[in-house]
Amino acid sequence: MEDIKAYLESGILELYVLGDVSAEEKLQVETLAAQYPVVRQELDEIERSLEQYANQHAITPSENLQNKILNSTLVNLGDDRSFTKPRKHSDEEIYEDDNIVNMPQRQNAFFKYAFAACLALLLVSVYAIYNLYSKLQDTNTQLTAMQLDRQRIANQVNLRDQELEMYQDTAFKVLRLQGTAKTPQSAMIVAWNPSSQKVMVDMRSMKLPTHDKEHQYQLWALVDGKPVDIGVFDLPANDSAAVVKEMKPIAAAQAFAVTLEPRGGSINPTLDQMVVLGKF
Amino acid sequence: MTRKTKISLSEDQLVLSLRNREKIAIEALYDMYSASLYGVISRIVIDEAVAEDVLQETFVKIWHSFNGYSAEKGRLFTWMVNIARNLAIDKIRSKDFRNQNKNQELENNVTFIDEQKNTVYNPELLGIKELVQTLKPEQKSILDLVYFKGYTHVEAAEELNIPLGTIKTRLRLAIQQLRKHFN
Repeated sequence: MEDIKAYLESGILELYVLGDVSAEEKLQVETLAAQYPVVRQELDEIERSLEQYANQHAITPSENLQNKILNSTLVNLGDDRSFTKPRKHSDEEIYEDDNIVNMPQRQNAFFKYAFAACLALLLVSVYAIYNLYSKLQDTNTQLTAMQLDRQRIANQVNLRDQELEMYQDTAFKVLRLQGTAKTPQSAMIVAWNPSSQKVMVDMRSMKLPTHDKEHQYQLWALVDGKPVDIGVFDLPANDSAAVVKEMKPIAAAQAFAVTLEPRGGSINPTLDQMVVLGKF
Repeated sequence: MTRKTKISLSEDQLVLSLRNREKIAIEALYDMYSASLYGVISRIVIDEAVAEDVLQETFVKIWHSFNGYSAEKGRLFTWMVNIARNLAIDKIRSKDFRNQNKNQELENNVTFIDEQKNTVYNPELLGIKELVQTLKPEQKSILDLVYFKGYTHVEAAEELNIPLGTIKTRLRLAIQQLRKHFN
């Protein structure tokens, strides 16, 4: 009993209550407290007095803190009750991993790759569509060009046909108009079909002086000594595709002549401007 | 949520209902001990918001660790005040808190907090003036360092430059004075 008294007076119990003892000392105090009621009694009195001391130094926390703290523990209370699996850990340990279900990783990876594949496919498709679209544009352009070409060739063939008809058809009378004294170098061919009354001018072999834009050549037929207007024409440009030009029909003519007249033609020929003349 | 009447249970009832994880237990626990625990925490953690956090952590830990309490080994409050003190000390020693630079010189805290808060003493316990007279200043300073500040008696001896044996003696004498006073 003397030993116990000395133990009580050593101050170890006070340090035990203050939480300031080593693990061995703690065990020793607890063993002795269980063994000797006087130690237990002493501890209890120390605890009560310190509890009172703390009570006297109490500070009431703000009111809203009460709700906050009660809510936070009550939320935890609710969580405890809703756990379906037994707790894997004691309360002292981390318990965050309870109730956590691992999501299957493979599926995530599959969607990731599927998404990447779709994206890649989309990019390839867009590229392919763009390529096809530019090829289509090219083809359309070429097709238009070829159609224009075909049209031009068809026109040319048409004109050649007319020219051929003019020379080959025996019904046409071909008349070579010679330059007048004023323009001896000029020459021109006119074909006339008395039955169909068609008059054609050969534009390709035409050799006439150039004229300005205010003037035009006018073809006249001499019918019983009187000049009859059968149309106006321009000297064809060098690159012109025109081969023959059909003039106004005439039923009868003894001669053809061409004069230079103001654009649009005149009612009566300006005789001193006559460039070519030819008689049957 | 705020209740007008405070719940008070005997310690045995409280421990039993805490073990059964009853809602009333945590409410009673708060009503009975929040001010005492907050008083200890506030003397260690000066910043009010941080002290309130620590009080919350303390209650959560008490709630979750209640299996760790054994009534044979001591009173409930002794167990809880050790949790509160340890959490508060962990907080002011944590890197986060040190970086916030919110802590103050430890030794000034006890008087500082009392002056700052104009501490509300429990009105039923009117003996505080007597108590101050009961405890000699050197007893009070050691007791406060160890009880409220979480100093070990070895640290307190270094801090106050007093031999270890003297520290232990004064601590014991201080607590005996308290026992006499409260009895």
